[in-house]
Amino acid sequence: MSSSELLQFLISGLQNGAVYALVGLGFTLVYASTGIINFAQGEFFMLGGMLAVAGVRMGLPLPLSILAAVLLSAGVGVAMERFALRPRRDSGALVLIIITIGASMVLKSLARHIFGPNEMALPAFTPGPPVLLLGAAIDRQVLWIWGLTIVAVVGLTLLYTKTKLGRAMRASSLSHDAARLMGIDTAGVVMISFGLAAALGALGGAAVAPLTQTAFDVGARAGLKGFAAAILGGLGNPIAAVVGGLVLGVLESLSVAFISSTYKDAISLVLLLAVLFLRPQGLLGKSGREKV
Amino acid sequence: MTLLAARGLSKRFGGLVAVDDVSFDVYEGTIKALIGPNGAGKSTLFNLLTGFDRPDVGEVLFADTSIVGLQPHRVVRAGMARTFQNTQMFGEMTVTENVLVGMHTRLRTGFAAGALRLPPTRAVERDAIARANHLLRLVGADAFGDAPGADVPHGVRRLVEIARALASAPKLLLLDEPAAGLNNTETVALAASLRRIQADGTTILIVEHDMGLVMEISDEIIVLDRGRKIAEGSPRLIQKDAAVIEAYLGEVIVDA
Amino acid sequence: MRSRLAGTLVPAVGVILVLAMPFMTTDRYLFKVLTFVGLNLIVVAGLALLFGYAGQISLGHAAFFGIGAYTAGYLTGEAAVPWLVATLVAALLAALVGFVLSLPMLRLKGHYLAMATLGFSEIMTVLFIEARGITGGNDGLRGIPYPSLGSFKIDTPSGVYLLVWITAIVVLVLAANLVRTRPGRALRALHGAELGAQACGIDTGRLRVQVFALSAGLAGLAGALYASAVGFISPTTFSLEFSVLLVAMVVLGGTGSVTGPVVACVLLTLLPYVDALVPGLPREVVSFLQDWEADIAGIVMILVLLFAPGGVAGLLRRSPRVGEAE
Repeated sequence: MSSSELLQFLISGLQNGAVYALVGLGFTLVYASTGIINFAQGEFFMLGGMLAVAGVRMGLPLPLSILAAVLLSAGVGVAMERFALRPRRDSGALVLIIITIGASMVLKSLARHIFGPNEMALPAFTPGPPVLLLGAAIDRQVLWIWGLTIVAVVGLTLLYTKTKLGRAMRASSLSHDAARLMGIDTAGVVMISFGLAAALGALGGAAVAPLTQTAFDVGARAGLKGFAAAILGGLGNPIAAVVGGLVLGVLESLSVAFISSTYKDAISLVLLLAVLFLRPQGLLGKSGREKV
Repeated sequence: MTLLAARGLSKRFGGLVAVDDVSFDVYEGTIKALIGPNGAGKSTLFNLLTGFDRPDVGEVLFADTSIVGLQPHRVVRAGMARTFQNTQMFGEMTVTENVLVGMHTRLRTGFAAGALRLPPTRAVERDAIARANHLLRLVGADAFGDAPGADVPHGVRRLVEIARALASAPKLLLLDEPAAGLNNTETVALAASLRRIQADGTTILIVEHDMGLVMEISDEIIVLDRGRKIAEGSPRLIQKDAAVIEAYLGEVIVDA
Repeated sequence: MRSRLAGTLVPAVGVILVLAMPFMTTDRYLFKVLTFVGLNLIVVAGLALLFGYAGQISLGHAAFFGIGAYTAGYLTGEAAVPWLVATLVAALLAALVGFVLSLPMLRLKGHYLAMATLGFSEIMTVLFIEARGITGGNDGLRGIPYPSLGSFKIDTPSGVYLLVWITAIVVLVLAANLVRTRPGRALRALHGAELGAQACGIDTGRLRVQVFALSAGLAGLAGALYASAVGFISPTTFSLEFSVLLVAMVVLGGTGSVTGPVVACVLLTLLPYVDALVPGLPREVVSFLQDWEADIAGIVMILVLLFAPGGVAGLLRRSPRVGEAE
């Protein structure tokens, strides 16, 4: 394999990896503020792509469609937290897991009713020939994906470190009770994390839709990959989720290059299981940090 | 004869030494009490003895065999059964069923036999239920047999846990604050039950704050303070021990 | 409390009704629909033990169902293995896969366990599609022979129906027995308070593995029966939706019960096929129910957890449940 071919695989790995990172960030945000895994996270990825396509078909300009898709998805995320999860906030993990699973089933099925069962494509954000780099071609859309991921990560970091809300989020991720004692509105923090998580997933879904097409049933696998990204890095740390996503994307891409493209999805899922089984605290997490 | 021997047990959590080089013996057929102020390391010590936690250093010998590193269910099979300070009842099962679970190591019914539930299995079940009822009577909780575990008062839960622990027919019974939540009459009844259990040949190690009960029933007392053993001996001796009195800092230890 | 009489009478009448069905009707569509109900009952019996009693969630039971179906389909078709042998091998293989998978899963709880079974399910979906030599890829396997014992062939809808339902009834009776004896009590204890269970001498790790393998084996058995009953299998059947639907049946039925999930399984399975029971039903109603099956199941599941965590079983007991899933 020539070095430019290898570079091409690396680029496609980093492209998928950035999308996994966005979905994975959503898992991390919700986990940090509530300690639960949102099994509907992948559906926001699906919603982002589908709503953006729907917006374009309704005649909205592309940027506006994407913005509307992200905001609407965030709204769905907030509504889900408020009406389906908060009433059972004090129930055990099992109850909350199943509620998010039920929500994911409903969202996916509703999407099929509203948008139909077919695959749909979103126009490229900036059409044009690929950019050449050391003999490898980079689709312009890939640059968008990377750009948006960087913006999201920088934005989240600023939010976490520079704003009052961010401090409240960090405080309540450490201890709900302590945060409440400090006068932090933990319920509000939880709601905002669900909204942000949904928005990040939707952004990923919209950004990758011009490249891969989208459909009502893409959520489950995107969710699994995003979760794999989050767990690979070690749940609870945003930077780790990004690193996890990129590592996962590149590994997946290299497995296509060197092993088989047929089993690409299976390979990353086996990787997920291996990490879950062997290092549930993630590759970057401290060993024995938490009991799972 | 020594039934249980702790030798140099230590356990630290982070920077905190919870149990510090503790050694003692429990003699067969006796009741030994483990006392000390809150945070003295009594519950940690219990966990080290019963396999729920592993000591950093030290040895636990039960009937002359080392049981350090055994999982809790193996410790039960070896002949030690315990109760919990924060009761671990099976809330959705009736009190009688709770005690039946305690017979897990005594019964043999496997998945296949349980699913078929042929007459021999049914006979075993009938005997088990009769024995469970007997144990509930012994601890004085028989009035609650059909109540779901989640619905019985906290004091009664402790009694049910004693019956459940006894259901494995242990040689050594470890009780973690069995009298907490009981009123005076109930505590007197508990003392009588414990004596009967002792008379039936079961050795008892008990953690308890109710000094009246401790002084009345124990043959020997060991006192822990900040993880260390500060005294050991008969109730009479312990009541006069200066170090013990200082550890309790004026807490009334003799109210009987 | 239900009376002892009702506890024996209702199931007995149900069994008689089930067995008398072939003498009361010859409606092929009805038998086909009821066969699906019976197959789902076999899976739900195992899931009720795993999830409803032992409190362990699995989003991978459609995959075990698929393992059973493909194994039986391949063995009876391509390899011409006798039906009974193929069916038993299929169930055992599913149980074995469940056993192997559950060993590393012992370290996981709650979210992580659910996610691991979901990952497993997706891996199996990829395999079902890509391992074309055995599974026929997206086209699936066709012409799978009907069940047969020696020269006796069960090739009528009512015959297949009886075979499936007799199996389901046996499985349900065994499951109901199990929860009333030592191993079943241990399962319930595991769910109730794990420390307490260990203190009772229960090897909780071993028990987890056992119940996971058992429920995987039952799903495999149902899958094997499905393959020979329908004669055609393809990957879409063994999807995540089916796994979630199965979980929804146990949730709707109520944890810690066998009866509740049975009722819920019958209701949810019949939902898209009500026209088999009510022949005069307008076409629009039927197609609406078929179209919206997943939405209805998902919404019902959420509503049950929000407002009636005891499920059907809780309503039957007529008393609010104090404790619930975990």
